[in-house]
Amino acid sequence: MAITVRPTASGVAPTPGSDSSQRNEYGQPTFTVTIDGRTMQAYEGQTLLSVAEENGILDIPNLCNDDKLEPTSACRMCLVEIEGFDRPAPSCNTAATPGMVVRTKSDRLTHIRRTNLEMILSDHNAYCQPPCQIGCPTHIDIPGYLELIAQGQNREAARLVKEVLPFPYILGLTCPAPCQEVCRRGLVEEEIAICRMHGFAAEQCIEDPPTPWPQEAPTGKKVAIVGAGPAGLTAAYYLALKGHYCKVFDMMPQPGGMLRYGIPEYRLPKNMMDRELESVWKLGVDAQYNVKLGVDFTIDDLFNEGFDAVFLAIGCWTSNELGLPGEDNPGVVNAITYLMDKTQGLPVPVDDTREVVVLGGGFTTFDCTRTSLRLGAKVHTVYRRGRQEMTATFEEVEDGQSEGTDLQLFASASSLKINDKGELTGIEFQRMKLGEPDSSGRRRPVPIEGSEYVIECDTVIPAYGQKCDRSVLPDEYWTKRTTIETDPYNFMTKRKGVFAAGDAVLGAATIIQGIGQAKLAARAIDAYLRGEDMAAVSKRIEAEEAKPDLFDIVPYKPVEPKVKMPMLPYEERKRNFRLIELGYTPEQAKREAGRCLQCACPAAGQCDLQKHSIEYGLTDNRFHDGEPTDYHDYEFDMSHSFILRDPNKCINCTQCVRVCHDVIGPNCYGMFGKGFDTIVSTPFNVSLHATDCVSCGACVQVCPTGSLMMAERELVRWDFALDRCIFCGDCVEVCPHGALGETPNFELSFYNRFGEDINMPMQDVARAPSFLVRQRVPRKQGDAMEEPNPLVRPLPARRIRE
Amino acid sequence: MQQTQQTQHAPTPLLQAMGLTGEGKASAVPFTLDDYRRQGGYDALRRALRELSPTQVIEEIRTSGLRGRGGAGYPTGDKLALVASGRSTMRYLICNAYDADARSLISATLLEQNPHLALEGLALASYAAGVSEAFLYVRSARTEAAASAQKAVADALEANLIGRNIMGTAFSLAVTVVGVDRSFMGGEESTLIEIIKGRPMKAQQRPPYPAMQGLYDQPTAVQNVETLANLPAIISHGAGAFRQSGSRATTGTKLLTVIGPGGAQLIEIPFGASVRQALQQAGIDANENNARGVVVGGMEGGVLPLSALDTPFDFDPLAQADAMVGSGMIEVLPVDACMVRWAMERSDYLSEETCGKCVPCRVGVKRIAGTLQGLVSSLGQPDDLKLLEEFSHYVPDGSLCGYGVHAIHPVVSAMRYFGDDFAAHLAGKCPTGTCQPVRAHRFNTKHVL
Repeated sequence: MAITVRPTASGVAPTPGSDSSQRNEYGQPTFTVTIDGRTMQAYEGQTLLSVAEENGILDIPNLCNDDKLEPTSACRMCLVEIEGFDRPAPSCNTAATPGMVVRTKSDRLTHIRRTNLEMILSDHNAYCQPPCQIGCPTHIDIPGYLELIAQGQNREAARLVKEVLPFPYILGLTCPAPCQEVCRRGLVEEEIAICRMHGFAAEQCIEDPPTPWPQEAPTGKKVAIVGAGPAGLTAAYYLALKGHYCKVFDMMPQPGGMLRYGIPEYRLPKNMMDRELESVWKLGVDAQYNVKLGVDFTIDDLFNEGFDAVFLAIGCWTSNELGLPGEDNPGVVNAITYLMDKTQGLPVPVDDTREVVVLGGGFTTFDCTRTSLRLGAKVHTVYRRGRQEMTATFEEVEDGQSEGTDLQLFASASSLKINDKGELTGIEFQRMKLGEPDSSGRRRPVPIEGSEYVIECDTVIPAYGQKCDRSVLPDEYWTKRTTIETDPYNFMTKRKGVFAAGDAVLGAATIIQGIGQAKLAARAIDAYLRGEDMAAVSKRIEAEEAKPDLFDIVPYKPVEPKVKMPMLPYEERKRNFRLIELGYTPEQAKREAGRCLQCACPAAGQCDLQKHSIEYGLTDNRFHDGEPTDYHDYEFDMSHSFILRDPNKCINCTQCVRVCHDVIGPNCYGMFGKGFDTIVSTPFNVSLHATDCVSCGACVQVCPTGSLMMAERELVRWDFALDRCIFCGDCVEVCPHGALGETPNFELSFYNRFGEDINMPMQDVARAPSFLVRQRVPRKQGDAMEEPNPLVRPLPARRIRE
Repeated sequence: MQQTQQTQHAPTPLLQAMGLTGEGKASAVPFTLDDYRRQGGYDALRRALRELSPTQVIEEIRTSGLRGRGGAGYPTGDKLALVASGRSTMRYLICNAYDADARSLISATLLEQNPHLALEGLALASYAAGVSEAFLYVRSARTEAAASAQKAVADALEANLIGRNIMGTAFSLAVTVVGVDRSFMGGEESTLIEIIKGRPMKAQQRPPYPAMQGLYDQPTAVQNVETLANLPAIISHGAGAFRQSGSRATTGTKLLTVIGPGGAQLIEIPFGASVRQALQQAGIDANENNARGVVVGGMEGGVLPLSALDTPFDFDPLAQADAMVGSGMIEVLPVDACMVRWAMERSDYLSEETCGKCVPCRVGVKRIAGTLQGLVSSLGQPDDLKLLEEFSHYVPDGSLCGYGVHAIHPVVSAMRYFGDDFAAHLAGKCPTGTCQPVRAHRFNTKHVL
């Protein structure tokens, strides 16, 4: 038989014209297709997705495709419309054919893609990031410390909180808890007592509080801090930890600022506060009291004294004025002075013979209200808007009412009634209603004509909020709103080296907001003292503080009632200033902390599902609140040493299945079940340990969500037995982790699934002072490791937060 | 009445070939190989192998106008030609005798009564498409049918009707019986290829169609057993004879499983006969006293009201009526059937039976079912109907395979013909007073970003 050879196989190029079709440089037949009105070159067998991407159409979303895998077209995100096809086709799996006309964008495609995402998220029993942590101005790792408390590790919990908030006990009693307003447990039944929990943790170790990290060696830099309130002491705490010398100056005789002089004893016992503030002085922070900025010293004085930076945390200590004639009547009491005098044990102009009207709807209003009630007075609390508009928390208002105040809403003081003797006899009020929303969208109260009425009283406390004392600093420091002007992120004022934060910058705000600022300011001051470019610092802090986009996914968890904080009964609150929150017992705290849904996802920010959902504007989901059978609540598989599996986040894209089967080989995963209950798992849902997993991590790499995550691990370098190595390189060749490289820095890594049969014959090598092998102890407590191989130094079993 | 007469006299070639017509229907004995050959069985194969080229066989099938009986109605001749033209030396044929809808009698009866009819058709199609390895894909739970298929293959092998050099010609064909019991999706053409390969039961994206790239990526003809059972007659008696029955669009006859009050029975009607005629053939007179609607197409089929019973049983008219040929089933729903509940039960079933691979089908069908559950439980809101309407486009448009395309038929047809039932449930009252609440919480919309 004659042998024939195809011309292309002989290495000779085909003669032009012998083949009617065009070929590309690899010899593949090429042709043109039209995508989104543009004509593009494609080769035979090329998928439409690849053609589009090669030609700069990069916005076709997909969740289940990866270049190194066979397409599966399960996610239906990359659908495109092709002329002649009656249904949209997945571009990842449809080969281009000559003359194909394709559209990658249309209303129908957007609708399908968007609904796909809605479908996936409607059964995505997981969360991007905990909203509490975003909601907290200091961004405490709330799921972290709650988990620690649930495990009984209160000291470690307190340490974790102190990384960003130095006074967890104080804030536990006084914080309005913006974190709790957004707690996702509230979607199940009731939010968690997040705020009280760190108070509990700190109380457990208040005598010997932990520091978030060891104090650094002294730097020789000196920082003057003006104001010993929460903001000032926070900055002092973090700066001292950084090794800078700090000295606090305060106009009052004792530290604490508004904590001490503004917050009544029944909300915050001052002896306990002093114990917590002790942690600041322990770090070597000095203090000088009874000195006032602008009176006893100026900023220049501080720099002349050798301070390298000045931090102004002077707060807001001036009560807003009533703004009515007769304001200087002795019956009109300054709210701040009143609270200050009371906390210092000085005589106050309120007692059980008095009838008091407190004006306002903030925290100070209710501090004054409840202080007056405790002094035995008859109290009316009057606010010109509704209860929704009050800045005080609902608990505060409720407690005030239960303790006996007469709360009146939608009433505005119009004039003071003063008799001939110059005594205050009452206040005339006018009823208000909410008017049309103004330009800011807020509905301003407008008076109702002819609705005037009088409340008889002899004392009025206007508690409309506070502002700064403008006289202490030269004019150039101030904004029009009488706050200190600073860069919004590095908190430096116009004068180099002078920083400010807290109420002085915010206007009277909450303690936690002040601390949040002071914490950032401390970092900026530290950077300043190290000579960094402050513009860059500002940018860096801005980037870190950017709010991520979150998905609020309904938690499908069993209902677990909230553990109520034991409170002092209302009848026992009369005529005394005892702390009203009695505190949790350790068991209660554990139970309450255990309610945390741990709604933190380590993949947030890198998650394709999150990315596309944001891109497609998926702000609502129509499939919440159904029956438990409408959703899945899978158990985690944390048993593997390196790969953590959370099937709740699985979107069944099967990338892990394919990469494990087609690329790596062990075939650990499969898609199991049918119908709605289909899920990617291991055969028989066993631990990944019990499969042929080689811990290569390829599945984690391809996972588009946080369903598969690499466990955090600390890499340790081990000594290498050079006397035995023949440098064959076999270990480098076979290591599935790529942990060994052909460099002088060899690292031997050994990983065994069952913790047995580690074959290293030479016992004498084992007795050498350094170890050859490292291994993690399997999480499962079995008999396998009863007699550990002497060659192996077991690493401790890994916990989630190690 | 004249129509009824016609129907009764209409030819029923497949039932006849199974020995299921005329008197003695009940005692019909399964055909052995000898019985079959005595009646002229395997003559068509002999004729094809001896006298016709594969191209001529395909041409004959094309001329006959035979369309696939599996539900999609793709012209059989075209599909075989596509397989034959594939650039490969290895081609496969899979005869789907699975009966995805477990209540269907068609495939099992064919295999039990006359397995050689199917086997001869399988051999003819294989010859036409140049196939050398074929699979007879049966439902193993149908033990008699599976055993009958096994025996038929063994007998035919011994008689050299399949196997090596069939009837002394150069044509060889290996036939393997594959017994599988894998629920509804086990009968889907791309899924059954995966099952034969030993991969998970998941549908695959088409194109590429199996005819181009199927089993082991080779050209593969997946043919329903009923389609193949028509081939011997087409080759023996010619395409013209086959075209005598049926409609203009679809020639030939169709076996149907009719489920009425008296249980299931197998009938055969020419394509184009009305649904009413099919019912009459089964001896069912559906009227408002005994029936509320008629489901056409099996578990994924749509419900037709009694007023639409004159719809011809054919691919296009049924599709336009939101029903389908599907698995060839006609069910009569009793007079107290609430259509919201019926649609809900069907959607529930379908959400359990989908292979779960693609998002619109896995979750979308479940959400349709959940919304219908809300309606049944009197938790419905007018927006639910809008949502169902939206999903009746989203699920078919987005789904990977035909399962998702058809999974909306129950809800779409119920909403189209029985809108009053939905309105009654929205008003908190079941139209037939038969529904009990099935859920306590309806779906709510929540802000998530």
